Amino acid sequence: MSTLREYLTSERPASRQQARWGQYYRQWRALKQNPLALLGLVIIIALLIVAAVAPWISPYDPIAQNLSQRLLPPSAAHWMGTDELGRDILSRVIYGTRLTLAVVLLVVISVGPVGLLIGTLSGYFGGVVDTVLMRVTDIFLAFPRLVLALAFVAALGPGIENAVIAIACTAWPPYARVARAETLVIRNADYIAAVRLQGASHLRIVLRHVVPMCLPSVIVRTTLDMAGIILIAAGLGFLGLGAQPPSPEWGAMIAKGREYIFDQWWVAAFPGLAICLVALGFNLFGDGLRDVLDAR
Amino acid sequence: MPDNAPLIEVENLRVNFHTPTRLVRAVRGLSFTLGREKLAIVGESGSGKSMTGRAILDLVPWPGEVLADRLAYRGKDMRAMSSSERRGLRGKHISMVMQDPKYSLNPVMTVGDQIAEAYRLHSKANAREARERSIAMLEAVQIREPGRVYDLYPHEVSGGMGQRVMIAMMLIGEPDVLIADEPTSALDVTVQTQILDILERLVTERGMGLIFISHDLPLVSAFCDRVIVMYGGKVMETLDARELRQGKHPYTQGLLGCLPDLDHPKDRLATLNRDPAWMGD
Amino acid sequence: MATPAIEVENLNVRFGEAHVLKDVSFSVAPGESYGLVGESGSGKSTVLRVLSALNPNWSGRVAFSGEAHRARPDEAFFRQVQMVFQDPFGSLHPRMTIDAALAEPLAIHGLDRPDERIAAALKGVGLDEGFRFRYPHQLSGGQRQRVAIARALILEPRILLLDEPTSALDVSIQAEVLNLLQDIKKQRDLTMVLVSHNLAVVGHMCARVAVMNRGIIVEEASIDDLRRTGGQDPYTQELLAASRHVAIPGAA
Repeated sequence: MSTLREYLTSERPASRQQARWGQYYRQWRALKQNPLALLGLVIIIALLIVAAVAPWISPYDPIAQNLSQRLLPPSAAHWMGTDELGRDILSRVIYGTRLTLAVVLLVVISVGPVGLLIGTLSGYFGGVVDTVLMRVTDIFLAFPRLVLALAFVAALGPGIENAVIAIACTAWPPYARVARAETLVIRNADYIAAVRLQGASHLRIVLRHVVPMCLPSVIVRTTLDMAGIILIAAGLGFLGLGAQPPSPEWGAMIAKGREYIFDQWWVAAFPGLAICLVALGFNLFGDGLRDVLDAR
Repeated sequence: MPDNAPLIEVENLRVNFHTPTRLVRAVRGLSFTLGREKLAIVGESGSGKSMTGRAILDLVPWPGEVLADRLAYRGKDMRAMSSSERRGLRGKHISMVMQDPKYSLNPVMTVGDQIAEAYRLHSKANAREARERSIAMLEAVQIREPGRVYDLYPHEVSGGMGQRVMIAMMLIGEPDVLIADEPTSALDVTVQTQILDILERLVTERGMGLIFISHDLPLVSAFCDRVIVMYGGKVMETLDARELRQGKHPYTQGLLGCLPDLDHPKDRLATLNRDPAWMGD
Repeated sequence: MATPAIEVENLNVRFGEAHVLKDVSFSVAPGESYGLVGESGSGKSTVLRVLSALNPNWSGRVAFSGEAHRARPDEAFFRQVQMVFQDPFGSLHPRMTIDAALAEPLAIHGLDRPDERIAAALKGVGLDEGFRFRYPHQLSGGQRQRVAIARALILEPRILLLDEPTSALDVSIQAEVLNLLQDIKKQRDLTMVLVSHNLAVVGHMCARVAVMNRGIIVEEASIDDLRRTGGQDPYTQELLAASRHVAIPGAA
């Protein structure tokens, strides 16, 4: 153990890999200082594990109906009770992690790069490029996200894939804004002037020198945004425009539970709690990550 | 309160920073007394010279810890004071001028109002009196048209004028002690001279004590009375400013030797060999 | 006389309303160290930014070894002219190791044997192999400035532009960096242009200086003449007096 530690904390790393791992190790140590961020990380990891092993840990089939068992309160047999069609809510919440994660991941891998690229190009080149890209961004920013997503889904038709596309289309502008603001500062830095002096092309400067500097704030922004993305996906589900029945999506489950909220509270409460917990996890982790990545 | 007590007494001052991985000792046992004189603390970055000034003003940032056997202002023990009493000392009795006026002035307030506010903090003057006093103070730091400059915002004044405004603001509470941390390093050489002249005149006229923190040996030797040379948080030697050239410590000599000199060209600059023994422990 | 390494004639730069450089002319012989002295706002750094093609908006005539300088030069230009910046904390990419920072210019110009060249470049500025895979934040100011010099030299330029290379450093580190620059200049027969506000530093490094004030070269003279006569122009005299005011009387 101590040799690994020495390898990681060496002041004189001997190779590229060692330097990189040393950097990761320092960041991990900084993250460890922050208990709330660790809690967030634990929640996220738990979410990943639950999604991975859902078929083995869920006690019932999430879409199997059993009308004789409908709307049962939480009990030893059904820890979270059953819904209006007699389905086990715990199993549905567990399977729901898969849908939630899928939505979040798809949105993130499409939104991050697009926002980053538009923002850095806009900030780096300025002038006409900046004006055109930023006006487009402004148009997207001008609408409330949920309303815009609604319009997209209405045009594309309901369904989880279209919900992802709709969310992605509405989520990138803030990333572009963040990346552009950072780039405006970075492009005047001496280290960018130094690579220009080495004869680097604009594309090389943007991709290899500007993007890595914007990446941390975009990553942080993403983790903080995860909660919002989950909530929009849930919102679309709630309005019947996201995941279609009978797939166990948390937002749609709450929507159904609304009818019984006063007499059978558990139908809406447990998926709501799940959304709450996951959103909180991403938020805490994102906050901690900001401190770690912004350190330098 | 004995009035002949020195303005500042410091004995065995230590400033420690506890980081998660190790203990950083920024100042390791510094002692001096300040009378009505110009005392310089010189050293390179990391010598602990700035931390010394901050420790006297109780401005050491978290997680710093200040320890001393004695830390007194005019015979009163500052260690025994509450933090609000320490705050009461700041500005009215002990003031500090920082390196760069750009970062020390509030950008959304006119410079005159900032001086007036500093004045009203320590006296019960009304707004008109404060304005008059501030304009008089701007005049004292040799600003032409003080009435016009009063209404300017910090971005509208040059670096040299900004530093004069800072000095005016720091001296309006009529403190006995002024701590100047690299007050001229961010300024052009021709402006430096003017600022030093103003400082010199005000400090002498008002019979103040000045602690002048700087990295510039030739400058302090021309400007101050006494010089403390610091390295790695420790005092290397204390000497009369005019005799700086004759400093005995190899560090003092090394610092002087590595300076290029316009009038005495050298083929090659001497470099400084840092002796671990200077740190003592 | 041989073709000057750098020739500047009637260089003018305007930023909007502001006329930053007014008819600046000077020339630097091959292998010479030329100094530009002035205070903030004198335009001395702007001259370097024109020479290094970081500022493409200028008018007048600039030539390197007789070849006209273009506002947007091609890749080959950057193998001839390199620059060291003032702030060693700002001129190295904070997320790149020293190794990566030095590999970048080699990759851009497609030079062979990058490993050998990086090792040699570090050795040339007095840094051992242990620094190679560190990040800038693990280095002191002086060490960073050495890396910046290594990066400028790795393309083997003939002209090195220095923008206040030591003004952010402690005096003892300044001495080491200035000595290093002199050694390198001798070894490689470089042509240098040094910009500084510090007359003593310029005097130490350069034989000839131009004193700049408000975008104009008010006086060009050899350091020996300046030292002896105190300068012809009133501004030069003021600058010299200010530099001497703080000099220790009776210095050895």
